[in-house]
Amino acid sequence: MAGISGGYFGNILKVDLSSGSAQRVPIDEKDYRLFLGGRGLGIKLLWDNLPSPGAESTSPATPLIFMPGPFSGLPLPSCSRTCVITKSPLTSPLNSAGPGDSTLTYANVGGFFGPELRMAGFDGLMIVGKASKPSYLVITDGRVELRDAGHLWGMGTDEFEPALKKELGDNRFQIMCIGPSGEKQVSYACIIHTAARVAGRGGSGAVMGSKNLKAVAVLGAKVPPVADHPLFLERLEECREIYNGMISHFLRDMMRGQGTAWFLDMNSNDGKMSVRNFREGTFEAIEKIDGDAAQKEIWVRSYACYCCPLACKKSGRVRTGPFAGLVHDGPEYETGTMFGSNLMISDLKGVVRQIFHGDDSGMDIISAGAVIGFLMECREKGLITPAFLDGIDLRWGDASASMQMIEKISKRQGIGDLAALGVRALADEIGQGSHEFAIHVKGQELAAWNVQANPVKGLCYATSNRGACHHSGDNAQAQDFTAMIDSTGLCAFATDQDAPILPGHSVKTVSENLAAVTGLELSEDELRQTGERIYNLEKMFNFLEGFRREDDVLPERFFKDAFTVGSEAGAVLDRAEFKQTLDEYYTGRGWDPITSRPSEATLNRLNLTEIIRAT
Amino acid sequence: MSEHVSNHNNVSRRDFLTALGLGSGAMLLLGGCGSKTLDLVDRPYKGPYWALAVDYAKCAGCRTCETACAAHNNPLKHNGKTVPGLGNPRLANIRVHSFNPDVDVPVSCAMCSDEPCIAACPISPDAKGRKALYRDTRLGVIRNDAQRCIGCGSCAEACADGRTAILHLDELTRRPAGMCTLCDGEPQCVISCPYEALSIVEIKPGQIYKGLPAHQVAGELAQQWYGLELQGV
Repeated sequence: MAGISGGYFGNILKVDLSSGSAQRVPIDEKDYRLFLGGRGLGIKLLWDNLPSPGAESTSPATPLIFMPGPFSGLPLPSCSRTCVITKSPLTSPLNSAGPGDSTLTYANVGGFFGPELRMAGFDGLMIVGKASKPSYLVITDGRVELRDAGHLWGMGTDEFEPALKKELGDNRFQIMCIGPSGEKQVSYACIIHTAARVAGRGGSGAVMGSKNLKAVAVLGAKVPPVADHPLFLERLEECREIYNGMISHFLRDMMRGQGTAWFLDMNSNDGKMSVRNFREGTFEAIEKIDGDAAQKEIWVRSYACYCCPLACKKSGRVRTGPFAGLVHDGPEYETGTMFGSNLMISDLKGVVRQIFHGDDSGMDIISAGAVIGFLMECREKGLITPAFLDGIDLRWGDASASMQMIEKISKRQGIGDLAALGVRALADEIGQGSHEFAIHVKGQELAAWNVQANPVKGLCYATSNRGACHHSGDNAQAQDFTAMIDSTGLCAFATDQDAPILPGHSVKTVSENLAAVTGLELSEDELRQTGERIYNLEKMFNFLEGFRREDDVLPERFFKDAFTVGSEAGAVLDRAEFKQTLDEYYTGRGWDPITSRPSEATLNRLNLTEIIRAT
Repeated sequence: MSEHVSNHNNVSRRDFLTALGLGSGAMLLLGGCGSKTLDLVDRPYKGPYWALAVDYAKCAGCRTCETACAAHNNPLKHNGKTVPGLGNPRLANIRVHSFNPDVDVPVSCAMCSDEPCIAACPISPDAKGRKALYRDTRLGVIRNDAQRCIGCGSCAEACADGRTAILHLDELTRRPAGMCTLCDGEPQCVISCPYEALSIVEIKPGQIYKGLPAHQVAGELAQQWYGLELQGV
């Protein structure tokens, strides 16, 4: 295997907020080779730098890691992603040895931050410690500064970024920030970039808030070096053609046209949508909140991340009615479903208003939508009193009642303080069998893809390494592919999903680009194995935190409550079939089907034995 | 586009903003008539011949133009051959300003017909009538004579005063940078734009053409698209 001769700066920036020190930390060539960057190198850094398994996610010593990939900062199309890796404040194992046990989380966000961090000369940013007062971090090339954020604390994310750019006097800064939810450490608080791009899942915003860190702003003037310049230029030219061609144009125009909102209509028709707290898979009023409706009533324009030809993001404006004048993104598939059909809300403007407030306060809308849906169902079933909800009349379909909950959660007022901990904590408190429809795995709420008529998604949710996650992949191969893609800076939306029939960046493209950029020669199989290595190290991280097979379970609802409406009416998961699928999954992965621990042979095959023994 | 423009010899800046992409009629004209490469004729300078036009409704703010511009205009020597650079956006002559609400405004040298940058240059004209900063007679682009330039920054100040502010002093050389070269007839920003948002328009002698500051264009778009005032810088 050829050595690394480009693509990387060879170090990350480590900032200790407690001592106020910053240093360049060199990264072993071997780690780049084994984990690439992004999510992969992020888990390796978390593995190496977490004081010990079971450390509290919100304790100062827990690292909060921002990771671009080896392609970030280069003009290769669709390589805009940043992975935010840390311990999740939201998850925990069933049989916990200590209060700090939790999974890792890897929240993935597009935009411009990752590329800019690389332009500042760093392959990543690791933040440890806790600032003595609310602060923000400014990285300008090699200069690092911690500034007082007292006057910005409490500010919503929509207002924050323009305000900080004004304060810094330069609108080229790229910013990651938290909103009030992160400051108050809502367990599913997220980190926001450009007001509507979100490192959403797993509560990374709460970890950032626990460090008293309001924002990170970065500005750089470099471009990462490449190993083979002429080859890189060839690769660049070829990659810019990926979305040109007939089928490619169809996909490209789908993203440009409606982005992920394209799935709203399709998934509802196919019974794959999260509706009425995951009770149903089809939303009968879908045409009121789908992409066509948004296109007609809300959207203004499509916009793109760094050097991406897909422009899947949609900015919007409410033009009439009580919320006229509201300007924000969306709905996308996830936000439109979780704040729409999952709450039986068919008022599109009300959906957009909720999305604005969810993003502005900096909470993960997926988790928030599941929390509010759960409470609506508890209220409907009479399991909770109006007083439990502080008098909020939380009925299905009521966007303004949902808005009141969003506000309570972000401020952690009254019921919001408990709801800020997620559906599992609520079900623990409410009891009365509510756990059966508390829709989470390992403590993290499920996303907008429902399960009863989509068993492969059930496997995805049950075995994902950050608690329920729709993005992880529906089988082992897809999980490894995604883990590898997430480690390069590339956006999963711009890939062929390892299905040769689809256009997009393929494993072959990644292999060729990696050779040109870094000099690393990894075959397609070796790259898939890199993904497998990353997935297994994440799994081992969780194992040491006490997660076992009994944690890879789905809520009872999916085995009991067959859909009653839509094309998939009657669909429900078969318990025996699901167990068998899981058995085959563990066996196929080389994991112990009883404990779910990766076997020594598997770890050895993936060059992980030494890393795991070193701890 | 050229026909549309020639009917308005004394257009105001606001009208020009409209003509260059804000009105829906103008957008169609741009899409149909804007060209990707230039037909170069070496002729004495009579006016700025070409300028970059942006269809703001098509631009998605991806900044591919910045990287393509930077790569072409900052080439490298590789094994004795001149090849494009990697495309460091900091070195680009075009810059996409992004705002909240979502508005993206690419700006580049507008080759303003009244030349405030050249007017501000304190260096006496040479035998050819050129100050250190001067108008190139072949393409109508603005160039700098680094030998005579004293790096005073007057040109950058003039550009920042109500124009695009793309002209700036390079951080290392302290010489003017950011002037559009039109890539010698093959403007890479136009060619590489995945959204076909950029094109080249011909500006006839006598027509008033000025670049506007990004925040002014953005303010206009924010108002028009979202009914909002612009926040931040």
